[in-house]
Amino acid sequence: MTYIVFLFLVGLVLGLIAVASNPSPYFAALGLVVVAGMGCGVLVGHGGSFLSLVLFLIYLGGMLVVFAYSAALAAEPYPETWGSRPVAFYMMVYLLGVVLVGWALWGGWYEGSWVSSDEMFEFSVVRGDVGGVAVMYSSGGGLLVIGAWVLLLTLFVVLELTRGLSRGALRAV
Amino acid sequence: MNPYILATLLFGLGLGTTITFASSHWLLAWMGLEINTLAILPLMARHHHPRAVEATTKYFLTQATAAATILFASTTNAWLTGQWDILQMAHPIPTNMVLLSLALKIGLAPMHSWLPEVLQGLDLTTGLILSTWQKLAPFALLLQIQPNTSILIFLGLTSTLVGGWGGLNQTQLRKILAYSSIAHLGWMLLILQFAPSLTLLALLMYIIMTSSLFLIFKLNQATNINTLATSWAKSPMLASIAPLLLLSLGGLPPLSGFMPKWLILQELTKQDLPLAATFAALTALLSLYFYLRLSYTMALTLSPNSPTGTTPWRLPHLQTTMPMTIFTALSLFMLPLTPATIVLLTF
Amino acid sequence: MLKLLIPTLMLIPTTWATPKKWLWPTTLAHSLIIALISLSWLKNMSETGWSYLNSYMATDSLSTPLLVLTCWLLPLMILASQNHTAHEPINRQRTYITLLISLQFFLILTFTATEILMFYIMFEATLIPTLIIITRWGNQTERLNAGTYFLFYTLAGSLPLLIALLLLQNSAGTLSLLTLQYATHPQLLTYADKLWWAGCLLAFMVKMPLYGVHLWLPKAHVEAPIAGSMVLAAVLLKLGGYGMMRMMPMLEPLTKELSYPFIILALWGVIMTGSICLRQADLKALIAYSSVSHMGLVVGGILVQTPWGFTGALILMIAHGLTSSALFCLANTNYERTHNRTMILARGLQMILPLMTTWWFIASLANLAFPPLPNLMGELIIITSLFNWSWWTLALTGAGTLITAAYSLHMFLTTQRSTVPTHIIALDPTHSREHLLMALHLLPLILLTLKPELIWGWTA
Repeated sequence: MTYIVFLFLVGLVLGLIAVASNPSPYFAALGLVVVAGMGCGVLVGHGGSFLSLVLFLIYLGGMLVVFAYSAALAAEPYPETWGSRPVAFYMMVYLLGVVLVGWALWGGWYEGSWVSSDEMFEFSVVRGDVGGVAVMYSSGGGLLVIGAWVLLLTLFVVLELTRGLSRGALRAV
Repeated sequence: MNPYILATLLFGLGLGTTITFASSHWLLAWMGLEINTLAILPLMARHHHPRAVEATTKYFLTQATAAATILFASTTNAWLTGQWDILQMAHPIPTNMVLLSLALKIGLAPMHSWLPEVLQGLDLTTGLILSTWQKLAPFALLLQIQPNTSILIFLGLTSTLVGGWGGLNQTQLRKILAYSSIAHLGWMLLILQFAPSLTLLALLMYIIMTSSLFLIFKLNQATNINTLATSWAKSPMLASIAPLLLLSLGGLPPLSGFMPKWLILQELTKQDLPLAATFAALTALLSLYFYLRLSYTMALTLSPNSPTGTTPWRLPHLQTTMPMTIFTALSLFMLPLTPATIVLLTF
Repeated sequence: MLKLLIPTLMLIPTTWATPKKWLWPTTLAHSLIIALISLSWLKNMSETGWSYLNSYMATDSLSTPLLVLTCWLLPLMILASQNHTAHEPINRQRTYITLLISLQFFLILTFTATEILMFYIMFEATLIPTLIIITRWGNQTERLNAGTYFLFYTLAGSLPLLIALLLLQNSAGTLSLLTLQYATHPQLLTYADKLWWAGCLLAFMVKMPLYGVHLWLPKAHVEAPIAGSMVLAAVLLKLGGYGMMRMMPMLEPLTKELSYPFIILALWGVIMTGSICLRQADLKALIAYSSVSHMGLVVGGILVQTPWGFTGALILMIAHGLTSSALFCLANTNYERTHNRTMILARGLQMILPLMTTWWFIASLANLAFPPLPNLMGELIIITSLFNWSWWTLALTGAGTLITAAYSLHMFLTTQRSTVPTHIIALDPTHSREHLLMALHLLPLILLTLKPELIWGWTA
């Protein structure tokens, strides 16, 4: 189990590097998908299976839209992949950074990082993350209402900013 | 813009600030800030002018950065101390991180450079909202954290200096107002740790004075110094009051603008910081220079005009002048009311 | 106190409600009545020195002469401005008078304040009306520059004063003039205390103005309209001397040593500005530099801190207030006729305006401290007290007196004697308004020789 989570973590870092090294947009979107998947894997490894499922679905849905959008927006004939020179250079730099940071922090992190959210599952009826969802709906109801309102507001904002072909604020120049 | 949409956005604007005011939890406070930012974006880009869109983008980027930093800092705080409560922000690293990101949010030097650019792209009404209402929520948070005093004084002094210095060579009114905002915010930050009620007082006075100035400029439809020169023909009475208003903004006694400066200097000397007080007082002279230049153009010289251009005062104004009247009266004659104002703000 | 403040305030609605035809006579009469009532302040019966006391204001024998001078100046300013504002719209005339009245209001509050911080606020408050008078009603475009100089010199000096006053309040616990002298004085030993000393006096030295920080004064005088020049020369400069005299007791152990460079600078300024006057072509600038020169003596007299020094300073301030205001009025009568300030272009006026020459003669004599005028009394007392402080000052003060006489003569001869230039032939005759103005300036000066103890200050 530890090895699998470790692999997920390595994948997470590699995915981040893949996005951060500034390739063409849809490669970057692919990197984001990888990061999301790996992150959800880490969550599963820590016992948050329900949470990771929800997160993965939502994130993947959003990512697909971003993926399609960036693919449509930037249909370059010669996209920059991870093999092109500047991108590869960035990747090397970031990898070096990761190695350095890892080397610096090697000593102390191993102990604390494997705490599962279900340490005391013998005493509870539902898993921790499922219980958390219930708590969110019962005690955090006001917050949820605000969240819903913000989503609606965001919708209005986006529509208002992009409305109309020539009159919208955001447009292709 | 559809009036329903406008109402929704204005409601969102109010809701965001109110949520930040009411919250004791960092997450909720952060949400309030984000709602605030979201709601003002379409208002900023309302005119679809490329400059307005540019200003909107700049504003969005800075505010999003600041909000993300606040989220990061509060999470770090929760990680380090196990506390999400705003008032119990004990660890120095997240506290100073929050301070810096809030400084970015309200545009304090040295994180100020977005503010003149953004304000220059907006129309005067949105500019008024940006320089008054949008400052409230970050200040509600700033008043609750306990950051390092020397960082606060550094931010305050650089802001008064940059605010005075940057405005010196500007000819655009909105940029001048932005620099004046930076300078005034510097004064507020200077006193934040010693007497928070004085920060509130300075904020209140700044809001009153800058609102009346924005409204006067809006009535005159003036966006640069040249147009200001013809304002004597548009509304002679306002043109003769505006210099007083500008000098009040510069903090000259016996106008109300002197009140916050006086009390802040008094508190600073009580805290054994006479050097910082002197420095801040002298940088106020820099700001005063460009206020003085505005009043020279507006009322103390009569610019020549074509005969038809000298009679726009006969035309009726469409703008409601009541708020402007109240704000102007308050920003000129409030110095004798100092004790009452302090009592009002101490509780 | 209120019996003068409220009439002064009510002059403002009077100004705006009076019909156009009666505007100038009404305000003049009203302000003259105020000035006459203010004379009652001169009767000081109190044993403590303070009289007409209420919780914020009081007069003593130091502030009373300056107060009466302030009240006296308002009708004279109104009288002097009537002609040059006559072609303006009526609302602008009313605004102008309103500014003059507000200036008097602030000045009364300045001189009567018993709290130093209130004195400071009102001291600063006089800046705004003066600034507007200079920059709105001045004649040339350089007036804007002059206004900026005026504002920024004064503020750069007086903001440190504010900090210094707040520090004094923290250490002494009070800023009331009535109780401050009984407060415990802190030990003033460190360099910061010396800076504090400088902060306390710098604002007033700029306002006086001391030689070296005087550059704003000639500009402001030259560009201001006549009322602005009058009030600047007669009262606003005296704010500096008044403030210094008020601050002196608080600065006790430090002034003795720290004032050396300033006394020398002031006396050196007497010589230098006098020399500038000797080669000055601009009439108003000459009078302005002559003010700087006289104020140098006043600074010297105050800084040696003897009772005689203070008395001489006060006498010279009052006498100079009336004299220089009279000279500015005379210069303005020339300016209104010839529309330039250059002396060489308006020579030989004795031939054209002979009665005016009499006024020029008396005013010039007053300026060079002719016996028995109070000017001489003030200068003699200051010179004596400076001589008592150090013999060497006599070289500077003596030379200063000589130069003063020389440039006063130069001014009188250039404007009044020699032949009339050919281009000034169609001048207005003098108005009785102008004669009244000059008489109201010079009669008090002459009458003061009969009872000089009115302006002796604390010594009397």
